[in-house]
Amino acid sequence: MPISDEPPPLLEFREVDTCYGELQVLKRVSYTVRRGEIVCLLGGNASGKSTTMKTIFGLVRPTSGAVLYRGQPIDALPTAERVRRGIAPVPEARRLFARMTVLENLEMGAFTRRDPGGIAGDLERVYDLFPWLRDRRHQLAGTLSGGEQQMVAIGRALMARPALLCMDEPSMGLSPALVEQVFDIIRAINGQGTTIFVVEQNANMALSIAHRGYVLQSGEVILSGAAAWLRQNDMVRQAYLGEMRAAS
Amino acid sequence: MSRPVADQPLHRSWLGARLKPLALLLPAAARRRVAIGLATAAAVAFPLLVSDEGDIDAAANACAFAVLALGLNIVVGFAGLLDLGYAAFFAIGAYVYGMAASWQLTPPWSEAWQPLAWLGLVSRFHVEGVPDVVHFHVSFWLMLPVSALIAAGFGMLFGVPTLRLKGDYLAIVTLGFGEIVPIVARNTPSLTNGAMGLNGVIPPSLFGYSFGVESTPYYYLGLALVALLIFVSLRLQDSRIGRAWMAIREDEVAAGAMGINRTRLKLLAFGSGAAFAGATGTFYVAKLQTATPEMFMFPVSVMVLVMVVLGGMGSVWGVVLGAAILQLLQSWFLQDLSEWAHALGRLVGSAWLQDVQLAQSIELIFGVILVIMMLYRRQGLIPAGRRVRALDAREQAVAATRGGIGARLSLLDGEAGLPTGAPMLETRGLSRRYGGVRAVNGIDLTVPAHAIIGLIGPNGSGKTTFFNLVTGLDTPSGGQVLFLGADVTGLAPHLLVERGIARTFQNLRLFGNMTVLENVLVGVHARTRTGALGAVLRPPRVRAEEAEARDWALEVLAVFGNRLLPRLDHPAHSLSYANRRRLEIARALATRPRLLLLDEPTAGMNPAETLELADQIHSLREMGLTILLIEHKLDVVNDITDKVVVFDHGEKIAEGPAAVVRHNEDVIRAYLGRAAAAA
Amino acid sequence: MSFGDILLQQVINGLSLGAMYALLALGFTLVYGIIELINFAHFNVFMMGSFFAMWVLQLLGVEGQSTVLTGWPLAGALILALAGTMLGSGVLGVVIERLALRPMRNVRGTAAMITTIGVSYILFNIILLTIGADTQNFPNPMPVVRWHLGGAVLDLREVLLWSASLVLMALLHLFVRHSRMGKAMQATAQDQEAARMMGVDVDRIVLLAFFIGSALAGAAGLVFGLYYNFTSFLIGYTAGLRAFTAAVLGGIGSIGGAVLGGFAIGLIESIGGQLLAVRWTDVIIFSILIAILVFRPTGLLGRMAPQKS
Repeated sequence: MPISDEPPPLLEFREVDTCYGELQVLKRVSYTVRRGEIVCLLGGNASGKSTTMKTIFGLVRPTSGAVLYRGQPIDALPTAERVRRGIAPVPEARRLFARMTVLENLEMGAFTRRDPGGIAGDLERVYDLFPWLRDRRHQLAGTLSGGEQQMVAIGRALMARPALLCMDEPSMGLSPALVEQVFDIIRAINGQGTTIFVVEQNANMALSIAHRGYVLQSGEVILSGAAAWLRQNDMVRQAYLGEMRAAS
Repeated sequence: MSRPVADQPLHRSWLGARLKPLALLLPAAARRRVAIGLATAAAVAFPLLVSDEGDIDAAANACAFAVLALGLNIVVGFAGLLDLGYAAFFAIGAYVYGMAASWQLTPPWSEAWQPLAWLGLVSRFHVEGVPDVVHFHVSFWLMLPVSALIAAGFGMLFGVPTLRLKGDYLAIVTLGFGEIVPIVARNTPSLTNGAMGLNGVIPPSLFGYSFGVESTPYYYLGLALVALLIFVSLRLQDSRIGRAWMAIREDEVAAGAMGINRTRLKLLAFGSGAAFAGATGTFYVAKLQTATPEMFMFPVSVMVLVMVVLGGMGSVWGVVLGAAILQLLQSWFLQDLSEWAHALGRLVGSAWLQDVQLAQSIELIFGVILVIMMLYRRQGLIPAGRRVRALDAREQAVAATRGGIGARLSLLDGEAGLPTGAPMLETRGLSRRYGGVRAVNGIDLTVPAHAIIGLIGPNGSGKTTFFNLVTGLDTPSGGQVLFLGADVTGLAPHLLVERGIARTFQNLRLFGNMTVLENVLVGVHARTRTGALGAVLRPPRVRAEEAEARDWALEVLAVFGNRLLPRLDHPAHSLSYANRRRLEIARALATRPRLLLLDEPTAGMNPAETLELADQIHSLREMGLTILLIEHKLDVVNDITDKVVVFDHGEKIAEGPAAVVRHNEDVIRAYLGRAAAAA
Repeated sequence: MSFGDILLQQVINGLSLGAMYALLALGFTLVYGIIELINFAHFNVFMMGSFFAMWVLQLLGVEGQSTVLTGWPLAGALILALAGTMLGSGVLGVVIERLALRPMRNVRGTAAMITTIGVSYILFNIILLTIGADTQNFPNPMPVVRWHLGGAVLDLREVLLWSASLVLMALLHLFVRHSRMGKAMQATAQDQEAARMMGVDVDRIVLLAFFIGSALAGAAGLVFGLYYNFTSFLIGYTAGLRAFTAAVLGGIGSIGGAVLGGFAIGLIESIGGQLLAVRWTDVIIFSILIAILVFRPTGLLGRMAPQKS
């Protein structure tokens, strides 16, 4: 009897309901992120994108449904454990430690790791990805520009040597040129084998690098599919501009 | 055959079994009055029933501390300002009377003092061999209000620079003040006789009868003070001022945005509390006929705080109970417990038990009470219940005939007083920078009267910042805000409310522990005038104003039909999410605005609720309002707005009717993002 | 004594006091930086720390000032006393956090601070009721060795106390700036949620801050006892006020600020006490406290402005 030897998806949300306060923010949402993919989660304001990130990291617990990582439920795990298992965050608005140096910020990304050799190696890899960081490593993170901070935030997450990189609105507050740079880097990181889950408002940019996408509106997934298909689909524009009402 | 013991009803006693049905006969309000009446009778009869002078003396002291607790309750309980140096005002009241009615100050006599002597405030005193001196003996009854006022004056003077500090830092500076005052008293012996204490303070006298050293007259005086101040507290609590204080305590920012002048009200609370303490100081020092700095140090402030925490912050009866319990503990219970411990010690042969003096452990008990109450019962023994007067027959009739969509709100100045030509709101080059980030950059926006304008744009585009700039919650870095032609840039929120701008908040800032009706009544604050004195005395003008305010509040709530009216006395935090959104809008409407700014009013509502609210917003315009709303549900925006303004990265990128703007390239790009260069 | 001599003497005194206040202020500011709590109990942990140190020294056989040790026995006794009080105070601080303060972590407003007032009172009164109100003669094995600088006197014990304090401060600095947990503490103080997302266990960091802060308070208690040769249940109150002002003066939440503030207040107290009468010192210090909070709430080096949020 053939047993499926396909590994389970790296990250999976199954019919997840999440409440923030007593507002139900996510309503029976389901996502799948497979190894090696770039999956983007799109949606306008107040669609539930941030809450998705918070749920992945355990800052908010689902009220029903399951969140699975490598096939195992992680709902009950504390944040530190999830990071240890290979999920790393690039939070919304960067959230760097402003009064610590660039290097110290990067080191904080490796906080859950105990292998100094591996950490040193990864640090070198981050410097390769962002060459200018090496010279500025003793600069206080708070004094960097928005784009530079975004790079440091990505580097910090990479220092956890994650299997899954979760990015929350990486384009926020950045100029178009910088946004392109950031998305090029995301593509490069993915090329090196890291799976990426990007929550983004900038649908066009995200769809240009993603393999697949989901569109959230008012806490529900109203569209999903291959990025190429979504990109040409006017329904995405309608969803953002409120012309499409979710069937509810 | 008798029933087994276990099956018998749970009446504890024969008497209880008889009284219980009797008690249930009376309605709650009457039950309350009977309880108060019985307690008052017992209090009045107390000295007649008890012969021990020490007990009466302790009871008189208890009255003094009850008044202190009531005063601190106004500061901490009503207005939410933690004062750790309350004893300073106690000291001020005490020393002011002490200096005005004792042998402490004896300046040399001169003719300048003669007028005061005619008034009976001073007299000329002759000692053999030295020049005559002035003897101060101002009447206690005159000094009682005077020292209250002086203490209040100090309170306000201290409060002006400090009341804007955050809660725990305010507590520290008050602690500092509370420490400085007794030290100053100790170090200026010429005025206060320092550590040795004022001597020869003159006791009060009434119709020629001097109070002397017997405790009973002081007890009755103290009881009268307690009764008076309970009355004042209750009146204040259930008034425009009390509601404003509670609003400040619940959410200061929202309180300001509803028209409350926070600085003035905080000073009022602080000053009132100080006045209570000052009056008590005068009473206490007159009773003891001396005053030493040790009587007014930090432990006294803590003790009063413990009374308030134990009884219930904000609860008038609670703090009186708290004061009574602590006094009982200190004067009677601990003594008795010590004696039992001594007896036990003799029984088991423990020397330590035989020597223990539990009265000394009162401060340990204070500490334990504070910790236990904070951990397990923060609301105190008698929580400050929000009692809202039930609708009377007239009001019920009023509510029933109005309601639902289309109700006309009377007195909402629509056309009246609108200067012709000027737009309702205009911003010119309005900007706000945070460090290097331009949250809002050079916005020129015009909102004509009676328009409904939508403000849309992606996350972080500056919409809420713009609202904050227009409503005074944030100060612009540049540019101007003009309301009805007048420059209102940078004015404080409550001043803008007075002029007619009101708002709701994206993340809901209701006064959670206040009822629905009270929340809306806070909105009326800026349109009413009753001050503290009026609140206490309640002359006809004040009562009329309060009735009018209630009527208006009911009208406003009726806009939402039967959603909120049945829940008038429910605390705001118990409402459903949609109802909380509606309540916040009602509260803003209560300020009688001309311009209403709604920040995501339909957030979290389902489609049906959203539609209902959209219709209600429409009808608000019919009633004469101008509306500016931030909204993400673009179908709502499409339906109800005359035009939309699109923000992106702090700038206005498009403006026009929703149907047109929707197809604007820049707008689409702002939302969906710039397409990749090599896409 | 010439004015210069008097001034020098007061500077010497002021530095000793300052070292003690700096240690106290450091512990206080460390906790504040992470959870923004004004912990009144901290200053009575200091008081208890001095009692812990006293008991350790008494156990070692040191009696009053009559037992004098030198060389290795002296070092050993002092190190044991230091270890004992730091451990005892640290544990006390942790117990307080766990039992009384952690449940208050998410309560908004001043409730948590009121709880610390309660705990402070409990500690204060436990000592008062069990040991009594009398001042306790503090066992001090240090020999009396004096140097004369003009008319001023410099005592060996002062030099020892300065050195010990500076060593502790340096160790703290190294820990916070260069160790893994220390950096985690910094991160938590700067952005608690982001730190959590890096995998930092915030609860454990808070416990660590309380332990270290309280241990420093205990060390300050030993310094007090050795400097003044006495201790009593009251010392937390007077020293606490000054240390608190020091922390605020230097900038609440700033470690460098606590050290700077501590020495500043120590000097102000001793020089001020010389110029004005001692009985006005408290008023001066309280006035400084009020003035800073009103006019420059961030203090000299701090960034956390205690304005309305």
